[in-house]
Amino acid sequence: MSFLIEEYFSILLLLLVSVGLACIILGASYFLGIQNPDTEKLSVYECGFDPYEDSRNKFDVRFYLIAILFIVFDLEAMFLFPWAVSLAHISSMGFWTMVDFLLELVIGFVYIWRIGALEWE
Amino acid sequence: MDFLLLSNYLLPRLDLIELFNLNQFMDFSLLYANNFKMFLPEIFLTTSILILTLHASFIATSRFLGYPLISKSINSLCILALSLTFLLAYNNSIVFMTTYQNTFIFDFLTLNVKQIILLGSLFCLIISEPNLIRQKINNFEYFILLLCAVLGLMLLVSSYDMISLYLSIELQSLCLYVLSASKKDSSFSTEAGLKYFILGSFSSALLLFGISLLYGCTGTTNFDNFYLIFSETSVNDIAVVSLIKKSLLCISVAFLFKIAAAPFHMWSPDVYEGSPISSTIFFAVIPKIVLFAIFLRLFQNIFSNFEETFLFVLIFSSIASVIVGSFVALKQKKLKRLLAYSSINHVGYLLLAFASNSLEGTQALFFYLIVYMITSLCVWSIFLSLNTLLNEQKSKTLVDLASVAILNPVLGFTAMVALFSLAGVPPLAGFFAKMEIFISALSASLFWPSLIAILLSVISSYYYIRLIKTVYFEVKPEFSYVIPLNRSCSFTMGTMLFFLVYFFLNPSLLLLLTQKMTLCLF
Repeated sequence: MSFLIEEYFSILLLLLVSVGLACIILGASYFLGIQNPDTEKLSVYECGFDPYEDSRNKFDVRFYLIAILFIVFDLEAMFLFPWAVSLAHISSMGFWTMVDFLLELVIGFVYIWRIGALEWE
Repeated sequence: MDFLLLSNYLLPRLDLIELFNLNQFMDFSLLYANNFKMFLPEIFLTTSILILTLHASFIATSRFLGYPLISKSINSLCILALSLTFLLAYNNSIVFMTTYQNTFIFDFLTLNVKQIILLGSLFCLIISEPNLIRQKINNFEYFILLLCAVLGLMLLVSSYDMISLYLSIELQSLCLYVLSASKKDSSFSTEAGLKYFILGSFSSALLLFGISLLYGCTGTTNFDNFYLIFSETSVNDIAVVSLIKKSLLCISVAFLFKIAAAPFHMWSPDVYEGSPISSTIFFAVIPKIVLFAIFLRLFQNIFSNFEETFLFVLIFSSIASVIVGSFVALKQKKLKRLLAYSSINHVGYLLLAFASNSLEGTQALFFYLIVYMITSLCVWSIFLSLNTLLNEQKSKTLVDLASVAILNPVLGFTAMVALFSLAGVPPLAGFFAKMEIFISALSASLFWPSLIAILLSVISSYYYIRLIKTVYFEVKPEFSYVIPLNRSCSFTMGTMLFFLVYFFLNPSLLLLLTQKMTLCLF
């Protein structure tokens, strides 16, 4: 049992803190905030759509294109943060690996720019 | 609690392993010229993919040039890039090496499989070139994705770590999903892509689950460490062993999904039929040898002490594949579906050789795979040459084969030879390959499975012979203008036909090659 505690105690701590923090934030905004509910506010947020319509309607594929591209570049930021924090430990190899990754991502970006995936009209 | 016991048990050994690994920590000072030499084909292919992407996206969207259609020139550039990569892989001087923190291995097996897939995809690109206009593939991304799939396959065969294995499987399969859905205006193609995507990601999830169980049991993802841990039979803890067995079961099911073996074959006929023909040829010919090579390394080399867990699964799946491939194919009218079921049938024989789990079995497997690749390239290029003005846009059925022997006797003869070789009729390489598989299965005492497979191969040869009968003895009800054979298809057909006959008369070249590949696994 001591081994489990030793190895996983920090994870348990993280779990407790994150659950507690989530409860505090949600609870505080629920109890302390001023609430004037109306239909628009209570409806589910989904960008550009009525959330409860027929699923066989035609939709604009450009929303999904933007969402997919957003995910790619969001993940890039997600890679950059831990890389920046641990840069001191990962030597020059780690640095140049990230530079290579960014270079290839930029090529992808140039590609989507050129074929007009970023233009709405 | 199982994990706890296990980690206490394994910890002293893992310390040693980690100490050993720390020496190879990622650093430029520890990267030698050999590491780059070993990866030269992959580095070249990656660079050419990036350059081609930039080149194509600037040319194709240029208003000054009038938005030209560049799919043909990109296809030629891809052929050039692949042949240069093949030359780089061919001129490699390294015999054995692991690199990048043991995540990639380089030996004779990976070298040869790389050369084979590069040659195979070269032929795929060559025979699909004249059909681009007919298929209306005008987007240049198609070819770049195909190159990415080849890159993924090359990384997959040399991966020596669960993480690099998973990432390269994902790289190649994501490209293949898009390739199968690349005919945007056809709902069949979209359906094929979606089906392939959903079932492929399901099998990837199974693979990941198995990998995570293994990681939970051992604390490592490296093949070398697995080999060190499991090479002694001292892991006696029943809970741990059962957990490892379950994870191996998950991994083998994911593998059977990927190669479309029988209980997990449902996606393959639909994907074959719906995808554009050049993608279908790529799926049918190229990925199998890579998947077999990497999973043979995993099961026969790394986890060879757990053979009784997955051998049963492999034998069951082999028999099921042979049964499904022989009986269901009898009812197929469309040629693509027929060939899909025929490939399921062949996967059954391959799994029989896999399950015999011996040197001879593995050699027979590689022999069969190479012969199968040659034969299917020949069959698919015949398939591409069946066009008349009437059936050009439709999917080909058995009727399209009728009176081929009258209209073009050489094409009819080639079709006969290729189909006889698929069926395993004596004066051809297919017979020799099948015989080797049955001999290895019998020497591994797999009597019942080989008996069933031999009996069912009679049924499967029935539908090949029915195709030959259609080619030679049936006459089309209505005649139409035949679109003449193009040079690339006839070149491929001629080359493959030569090899089919040559490897029966003189199989020693192929036997030597497969023997050297096999010796890397034992």
